[in-house]
Amino acid sequence: MRAGNETCVQKVRFSFALFGKSGWKERESPWQRLSRNKGVSPVVLRASKDFLTWRLERIATMMELLLAAHGEWGLASRKDQVVMETETLDFNQALQVLRQHGFRDDEFVLTVEYSRKWGVL
Amino acid sequence: MSNIPNVKTTPTLGGGSGLFKKEDYWAVWIGLGTVILAIILWAAGSKVMPSLAISFPAWDNFAKVSAYLGTHLGGIIGLWFCFLIVFSVAVKILGHDLKAFVPGFTILFILGVLVSILGASTTAKKWSLEAPLMALLVGLIIGNFVPIPKWLDTAFRTEFYVKTGIVLMGATLPFTLILQSGPMAFLQATIVAVSTFLTIYWAGTRLFGLDKRFSTALAAGGSICGVSAAIAIGGSVKAEKNHVSVAISLVVVWAVIMVFLLPILIKVLHIAPGPGGAWIGTSEFADAAGIAAAASINEQAIKTFTLMKVVGRDMFVGIWCFIMAMISVTKWEKRDDGTKPSGKEIWVRFPKFVLGFFAASIIVTLLLAFVDAPTAKSVKASIIAPISMIRLWAFIFTFLCIGLTTRFKDLAAVGWRPFAAFTTGVLVNVPLGYILSVIVLGGYWEMVK
Repeated sequence: MRAGNETCVQKVRFSFALFGKSGWKERESPWQRLSRNKGVSPVVLRASKDFLTWRLERIATMMELLLAAHGEWGLASRKDQVVMETETLDFNQALQVLRQHGFRDDEFVLTVEYSRKWGVL
Repeated sequence: MSNIPNVKTTPTLGGGSGLFKKEDYWAVWIGLGTVILAIILWAAGSKVMPSLAISFPAWDNFAKVSAYLGTHLGGIIGLWFCFLIVFSVAVKILGHDLKAFVPGFTILFILGVLVSILGASTTAKKWSLEAPLMALLVGLIIGNFVPIPKWLDTAFRTEFYVKTGIVLMGATLPFTLILQSGPMAFLQATIVAVSTFLTIYWAGTRLFGLDKRFSTALAAGGSICGVSAAIAIGGSVKAEKNHVSVAISLVVVWAVIMVFLLPILIKVLHIAPGPGGAWIGTSEFADAAGIAAAASINEQAIKTFTLMKVVGRDMFVGIWCFIMAMISVTKWEKRDDGTKPSGKEIWVRFPKFVLGFFAASIIVTLLLAFVDAPTAKSVKASIIAPISMIRLWAFIFTFLCIGLTTRFKDLAAVGWRPFAAFTTGVLVNVPLGYILSVIVLGGYWEMVK
């Protein structure tokens, strides 16, 4: 038994919701108001445009930071989110990178999964 | 931030959640496929299944083994071929190297034949070293003292073989028995699991100053269902990687100790097989290790072990994960990163091979319910008995693989505090399991046959 031995694989997944509130300054984002049919108007549409521009920029920056911090990510886009996944970067390091650059924990969803390394009982 | 360094990205993420992409599901397909094929062959009047029921007779003179080999060589080769074909299909679709698996599995099968012969000798029986413990011991010696080529690892799939064996086990257990004894098993297992979990968590956090998440991973490994629980709950509460590694190492070490210790205690204390199996099911830490311990006693012990471990404990790992994730998010986490636990987790974590175990039991129970007494006798001889033998072979591969893959030098060093916290749990788990299985409910488990 050695101190450095690892018996599990850690899979880290960041999910970035495209349309959720995700750190928006108001209680409800314009997009949420729009999608719930709460008063459609040109003003709300423009506010939604601003929200989406802001949100997509935030996601792109977070992705760039994570990609700069580590070279092995799996990337995927879904209808309402972007997902980044790796098995070779500890989740604490990834969190630290985002926090150091001023990102709040509610701007992403972090999932940590473990699986046994080969051969473990 | 405009210049992204040269990173390796993939266009899609590995899903692996499909019905053919997980070992659990393949155990179900292979197990149920075997049961259905056995029924079809029996209905067609074929004797193929009984010919595959290879079981070496007890011997004190090797001539007896030679004679058995002479008359059953075709069956042995047939058994190897059938296992090889079905496991190869699964292994290929699961994305492993078939070129390594085929020779690797053949070596494993030959080792299985050798330990079965050795375990059937009267000398081995005298020393209680029948096939299960013999396989484990041989595997441990080879795995820890003989250099094993890396390519052979592809064939050492402990979890796959034990899950397939458990699905086949379903065919030999009447569903009525599962329904009758399941709630009792759940009650007993839950009392012990909750007590052990709280003990390890309390000892870890209060006595030995360990982190809450670390203590949770240790407590899950020591109380719910071993390594599977440690990794599932370790992920749910976002425990550190090295902490989960330590929890896994402790589970493995204690599981191997218990494989030998519990059967010895059961024999020394003259405990009947039924309660003995229930005790192992309550107090052993891993499915594969527990089956090895129960199989070293007898068939009834395997039954009560399976009821306790699979029905009473394994099925509920998802609920444990959900509860612990909820506690982690609402009580422990200072951050709000959106990872709210969802009820879906209960299904995601559910060990799917348990469904195959239930399905196999229902199929054979229904078949027996709709035939007359002489036909039922034929079903038992031509379907259930051969499946029991095939299941035993799946378990022998499991026991060999436990030994061959438990390489102590590869485990993580644990430190005295996690060891002490986990051991405190063992000191509660084992006596409490004994009290409930033997003293309180011994009469009940003795009747489960």
